[in-house]
Amino acid sequence: MDEELNQEQQRDLHGHLKQCSQCQALYQASHQITHLFKTAPEPAPAVGFSTRWLGQIDRVEKRKNRIILFSTLGTISLATLILLSTIGFELRSVVGNFPQMMYELVTLITNWMVFFNQISDIITPLFRVGAKLLSPVWLYITVFGLSGITASWTIAFYRSRGMQKEIG
Amino acid sequence: MCEIESQLIAEAKAGNKEAFSELVEKYQRPVFSVCYRMLGTPTAAEDASQEAFIRAYQALDRYDPERSFATWILSIASNYSIDQLRKKKVTILSMDSDKHAWLAPPDPGPSPEKVALNKEKNALVQAILADLTETDRAAVVLQYWHDYSYEEIAETLDLSSSAVKSRLFRARKLMAEKWQEMQLISAPNVNSAAKRITHETSTI
Repeated sequence: MDEELNQEQQRDLHGHLKQCSQCQALYQASHQITHLFKTAPEPAPAVGFSTRWLGQIDRVEKRKNRIILFSTLGTISLATLILLSTIGFELRSVVGNFPQMMYELVTLITNWMVFFNQISDIITPLFRVGAKLLSPVWLYITVFGLSGITASWTIAFYRSRGMQKEIG
Repeated sequence: MCEIESQLIAEAKAGNKEAFSELVEKYQRPVFSVCYRMLGTPTAAEDASQEAFIRAYQALDRYDPERSFATWILSIASNYSIDQLRKKKVTILSMDSDKHAWLAPPDPGPSPEKVALNKEKNALVQAILADLTETDRAAVVLQYWHDYSYEEIAETLDLSSSAVKSRLFRARKLMAEKWQEMQLISAPNVNSAAKRITHETSTI
């Protein structure tokens, strides 16, 4: 305390202490405490403190790694759960509309069948009329003629390809 | 800071625990001393000082090399001890406690008389500190045992210099009053140690 005061303040303090027994007692007590503190033995940890610290830090790091692992697994599990719940919800909405979907599919198939039936209804009489108007000889000539034309075009095509290869 | 210490800190920052354990070896006594004076029992001091070093190791990236490592580690230790006192309300051992055992003897092979006197002195110290608030106690410990200036205490405890001055003034007054009270009570171990201190100071 004395070190914080200048000479004049110290002189004043000591002057006051001579007159005031209460402050004198406190001042002495303060000095005795300082002496006690300075002479009390310094506490020391038991031997092997740093070795124990190494063991502690290993345990702390292992615990930290376990926490990281479990929180990562937890996050992944949570994300998977959210994903599965979302898919489940979507599937539920699809399953919920299943009769509607089936009705639309059946309607589509029915419409296509109606469409083909109508086409068939148009084409079949034409064939019938054609068959009645044309004699079977002309029918055979038409069929063989179309087949012959197709075959000749195919042969010509392959020949031209062979010639291109020879030139190349 | 010496070059070896900077090297050890750099290696510890890179994850070398062995390098940091050398710093632990070097600073274990002042850190343990702060924790012991703050918490009052060797077991609590051991736990707190171990934890302070663990926290320091984990916060090494935030350590400013411009600052003294000793100041930094003592700051961690004293703040951790303050937190412990606030959380658990650790009771400082009374002067009459028989459980006042050392984890390590302060002086190898002292005489039984000296051991007894040291025990009494430490019991007195802890009894005097017991009535102070956590922060006042930390300020007293840093000033009396580690010769910290007001500015260093302020930096360590995150206070202003004027707050430290007023806290220390209040603490000194409280401790002096407690000392006077203790001299009046009849506990035999208190009287013998206190009388000895009184005698020693009167002869200085």
